[in-house]
Amino acid sequence: MAEEKGLRRAAEIYADRFRAARELKEKGHKIAGYFCCYVPVELLSAAGFVPMRILGDMGEPVTVADTYLPTMMCPFFRSCLDLGLKGRYDFLDAFVGVHACDGAERVSAVWRSYLQYPCVFYLDTPHTAHDHALVFFQKQLGYLQAVLEEHTGRKISGAAVKEQISLYNRQRRLVRELYKLRQVDPPPVSGTEVLQVAVALLQLPVQEGNRLVEDVIAEVKARRPGPAPKKSRLLVSGCLIDNIAITGLIEECGLRVVMDDTAIGSRTFGHDVEPTPDPLKGLADRYLAKIVCPRTFRETGKSRAEDLEQRYAYLKSFIQDWKVDGVYLNLIRNCDIHGYEIPELKHYLEGLGVPVLAVEQDYSTAGLAPLRTRFQAFAETMEID
Amino acid sequence: MFFAGIDIGSTITKIVIREDGGRQVALVRPTGAGHRRLADRVMEEALEQAGLTFDRIAFVVATGYGRVNVPFADAQLSEITCHMKGVNRLFPGVRTIIDIGGQDSKGIKVVNGKIGSFVMNDKCAAGTGRFLEVMADSLGLGLEETGEMALVSRSPVSMTRICTAYVGQEIVLRMSEGVPLEDIVAGVHQALCGRICSMVNKIGIEKEVVLTGGGAKNPGVVKYMEKIIGFPLLRPAEPLLTGALGASLAAQDLWRKAAAEGRAASPRERTLAPVSFFQ
Repeated sequence: MAEEKGLRRAAEIYADRFRAARELKEKGHKIAGYFCCYVPVELLSAAGFVPMRILGDMGEPVTVADTYLPTMMCPFFRSCLDLGLKGRYDFLDAFVGVHACDGAERVSAVWRSYLQYPCVFYLDTPHTAHDHALVFFQKQLGYLQAVLEEHTGRKISGAAVKEQISLYNRQRRLVRELYKLRQVDPPPVSGTEVLQVAVALLQLPVQEGNRLVEDVIAEVKARRPGPAPKKSRLLVSGCLIDNIAITGLIEECGLRVVMDDTAIGSRTFGHDVEPTPDPLKGLADRYLAKIVCPRTFRETGKSRAEDLEQRYAYLKSFIQDWKVDGVYLNLIRNCDIHGYEIPELKHYLEGLGVPVLAVEQDYSTAGLAPLRTRFQAFAETMEID
Repeated sequence: MFFAGIDIGSTITKIVIREDGGRQVALVRPTGAGHRRLADRVMEEALEQAGLTFDRIAFVVATGYGRVNVPFADAQLSEITCHMKGVNRLFPGVRTIIDIGGQDSKGIKVVNGKIGSFVMNDKCAAGTGRFLEVMADSLGLGLEETGEMALVSRSPVSMTRICTAYVGQEIVLRMSEGVPLEDIVAGVHQALCGRICSMVNKIGIEKEVVLTGGGAKNPGVVKYMEKIIGFPLLRPAEPLLTGALGASLAAQDLWRKAAAEGRAASPRERTLAPVSFFQ
């Protein structure tokens, strides 16, 4: 088999994100850490930073952050803060917090209090996507731009932002192309491999990232998978998955991850920024209105059925286009935002005739054993006798 | 033709060896800490009882949390599938299965002899046999006596906590208030059943309901489950064995399927051996 250098590089970056980041620093890059998929990376990139999504580590016990945060809080954000307080993100040249959810908001505040970076901004993000909210959010993006300009001492031109938008649009299109390759059965690329690529993209300079995805697409297209046993095709929806321990466990249990609706996946790469005369308007529309996460309230319909259709029709098309057999609703413990979605989402999906497995997990690799039984049983329920 | 199911639970290991359409041998043993080196010995014991040698067993299915440590098994299935198959064989009219085990509890919805949906308690031990064990320990009682004792109470106390780690503390508090022992014991049973029912309600509790696992052997649990659910529950003659029975039934199905596809392993290549760390 030909050497798959793109996939291998993605796996290497995934395996040691911090080393990869330090290597970028050694090459003279400045790195801006940010939370969640609501911070427009285009602006950070236009200001000369390499944007790096701050993630936690499921494999490392939270030992420091619990002094600063109650344990009933989101274990993902507790883990992020834990790594921050342990100095793992000390190399960052800038930090952008965000009011994505309450966890992100609180941790942004604690982070700013205890960790000092040369450039810091808190992106106030409305919880609705009404016209007024979009105007508000666009204004916030203007403040972010001003803080970045003040820090670097140089103006960010509209043309520079537009150039970054077109580069990141290209990246999002490439990732969607990679996702489409999974519509065939069996998919030529695993959920674990796609996750590694996604995590790598969240910390690479955009053009380097684009080259990486191009390589990966070519490698996946060149694969000639032989006949494989029929396995159920899974859509993963809900809280983010940033660790291949989970995708690996799912795939070990006789399921194939073929599509996702999560923040390190289709929510990040799913929609392009429209070209607008003021690029901040296009960014505000894309980030606030187009990303679908329950942290943003959606206008509901007149009836329950209409409401569900408006909120979840995008999942119906995922299910059809990716020939999904079952849906795994991934809940990180104490995530009320996604937790409240479960009953309606289950009702909607089961109405489509798609089996659903909802599991609440602790964002810890040590606690994965009970999940094995659930995934295995779920796979067994979908097996064709 | 013989088929075996081995269910290694957190507390108890169960084996069922069945002859196609004929007799059945079952064995129940404590799992213990050394179960990784025990599965083969329990199987040997069961074979001895059945008067069989291992090479007569056409197919072995392992289930339960220790299923990964049965090197002589031909297949592993989750305990959800095995319980469903076992209970469905005993009670073809079953719609809801509630299994109360030593470290976990689960609800299974059965639709046309298949799993409709299922739910399990998470790592918290509040809705499991462990909850009763902790209670019995703090009261200095044997687990067996508590079930009967719960039946005597006329006014079970309302427990404010259903956390296994704190139940002992609450019991001490109630005792200091002078609450009769049987009311405390009954209160703990009621709290356990309430916790399990609210979990299983997520998938809907529909008649017929079959109660299995160690919890089904406890008359106090049965009483309060029935009180909360509102109608009588069915119980297998031996509630511990449904998983192993289901595994042995699944073994037969899988063997048939393999035989139909011409890949049935006829001369036994596997040997009855304990798991090795180097495998």
